[in-house]
Amino acid sequence: MRIVSGGVTDVGRVRTNNEDSFRIVQPLNLYVLADGMGGEAHGEIASALAVETVVQHCMDEEANPAARVLGPVQAGWSARTKRLSTAVHLANKKICKSAEEHPEQKGMGATLTSAWIDGAKLSIAHVGDSRAYLLRGGTLLQLTRDHSLVAEQVRRGMITAAQAEESEMQSVLLRALGAQPEIEVDAEEHVLFPRDVLLLCSDGLTRVVTEPEIAGLLQAESDAVRGAEKLVALANERGGPDNITVVVVRVLKDSGRWLSWLRRGARKDLGNNGNTGGK
Amino acid sequence: MPKLSLMFDNKVVKEVPVGGRAVTIGRAPDNDLYVDNLAVSNYHAKIYFEAGRMVVEDLDSLNGTFVNDLRIERATLHDGDKVHIGKHVIKVDTSGDAPVPWESGRKTAAPRINETMVLDTKERREMLQQAAAMGESMQFASSRMKVPTLMVLGGKTDQKEYVLTNKLTVIGKSMMATVKLKGWFKPQMAAQINQRDDGYYLGPGDKVPTVNGNAIGGPIRLHDGDVIEVSGVKLNFIFRE
Repeated sequence: MRIVSGGVTDVGRVRTNNEDSFRIVQPLNLYVLADGMGGEAHGEIASALAVETVVQHCMDEEANPAARVLGPVQAGWSARTKRLSTAVHLANKKICKSAEEHPEQKGMGATLTSAWIDGAKLSIAHVGDSRAYLLRGGTLLQLTRDHSLVAEQVRRGMITAAQAEESEMQSVLLRALGAQPEIEVDAEEHVLFPRDVLLLCSDGLTRVVTEPEIAGLLQAESDAVRGAEKLVALANERGGPDNITVVVVRVLKDSGRWLSWLRRGARKDLGNNGNTGGK
Repeated sequence: MPKLSLMFDNKVVKEVPVGGRAVTIGRAPDNDLYVDNLAVSNYHAKIYFEAGRMVVEDLDSLNGTFVNDLRIERATLHDGDKVHIGKHVIKVDTSGDAPVPWESGRKTAAPRINETMVLDTKERREMLQQAAAMGESMQFASSRMKVPTLMVLGGKTDQKEYVLTNKLTVIGKSMMATVKLKGWFKPQMAAQINQRDDGYYLGPGDKVPTVNGNAIGGPIRLHDGDVIEVSGVKLNFIFRE
C-alpha cells in the first residue's frame, strides 16, 4: 500500500494566535495533531511540546527500542501501539513539568490525536476532543471518542447530540494533556484497506463543518493536500471561530501507481510525497 | 427537541422528550412512559431515533401497537402521528431537532468564541455524579454479556460464525477482512460493520448489501436477528447471551 498525506493549519477568522500544532513524519507514516489551551501564548507552547514529544519518542524507536512502556497496555497491542500510547503519556508529563517549572504556564494543556501506520496496521492514541475519522466505502466513522463533558453526557443518554451541539459546555474537557500528572490515554488498532482515508482534525473543523460534508468533500477531492485545504477553507467560510487543523492521509493501492502516473502524468506534489504545511 | 405526549381521553397525561436513548412504553413501572392498564404489556413498545428518523418498535406485545390505526411491528413516525397502545394514545411531535442524524445533515452550532477548559477530577466527579447511577446501570444492562455475532446462513466463507470483537469489521475477499469470502470475482471489501456508541451499523463497501431483503441506502443500525446478504453470502446478525 502507498500512503499520501497532507496537512494544513490555520488561525481561523476570529482568533489572533494559532494554538494548534501538527506534524507529519513521512518516513514513519506518523501523524500527530494537538490543540493547545491556556492564556497568553501558553496554548501554543503546550500543543507544540505535545507534538514534539510524541514525534521524538516514536522516532527514537530504532535507537531505543526497549524504552519503558507507560500506562496500561491491552493484550495483543503491537509494539507500535504501545510506543505511541507511551509517547502520549510522556507528552503529558512534559507539559506538567514545564508548567511546574514556569508558574506563568500554570493551567496550560493540550488535546492530542495521533496515528501511526505500519504496513496495513493503524495505531491510534488519543486524549481530548480533537478527532480521528476513517472514511471507508463512503462511510465516515469517528475512531476516537471525544473526552468532553457533552460527549460523555450524550453517551450516558443525559442529553441528545443536537443538545450537545447547542450546549454552552462544549469546550469543557474531561481529559487533556497537562491537566493531571497521570492521565488515561485511549489507544486502539485497526486494519487499513486500500482507498481508506484517515482524517485527523481539531475541533475548529468539526464545530462548523458537518460529518456528511466532510465525507462528501473527501470523496470528491482525491488529492490529500487539496482535501485538507478545502476543509480548512470551508471552516473559514463558516466563520472560522477557532483554529483549524486538518491532516488527510490517503491509502492507495500499490498496483494503481503506474496507471495513475500514466493517467495524470507525474504530478509535482508527488515530489514531496504530497506534504505541505507542517510546523 | 422531539417529544411524545401520552394522552388518555384527549388529555395529556405525560410528556417525554425523545433523545439519544430509546423511550420505552409499558405497564412495568421502570418504563419511561408507564401506562397502568391491563391492555398494555409490561414492556410494550419503544420509540427511538435511527438515522435521523423516529421509529416505533413493538416489543412483541400481546395487544399490539398501532400507528394511525394500522397494526405495526416497526414503523417510521412522522410529526402528528398517533401511536395507539391499549386505550392510550401517544402523539408524536418531531418539530424539534432530531438527535444523531448520521446520514442527514448535522446541524452546526452557532460559532462562538470560548476558551477550552478542563474539569479537574473533583468537579468532574460532581458533574457526572447525578447521572452516574443511571448511566452505569444502563451500561450494565446493555452489556450483560451480549456478544454480537454473525452466523453464516449461506455462501462460502472461511468460518461458520464470527464474533464481532473489533470496532471495524470488513466482509470481503481481502486477506485482512474479518469475514473472508471465498470464490472468484468476490470483491476485496464487499461491506463493513462498524461499532458506534449506540450499536452496530452495516455500511456499503464495493457492494450494497441488503438487510432483510432491502438494499441499504447508507449505514444502518443492525438489530438482533437481521439477515444480511452481500456478494452471494447470507449472514445472520444476532446478539448472543
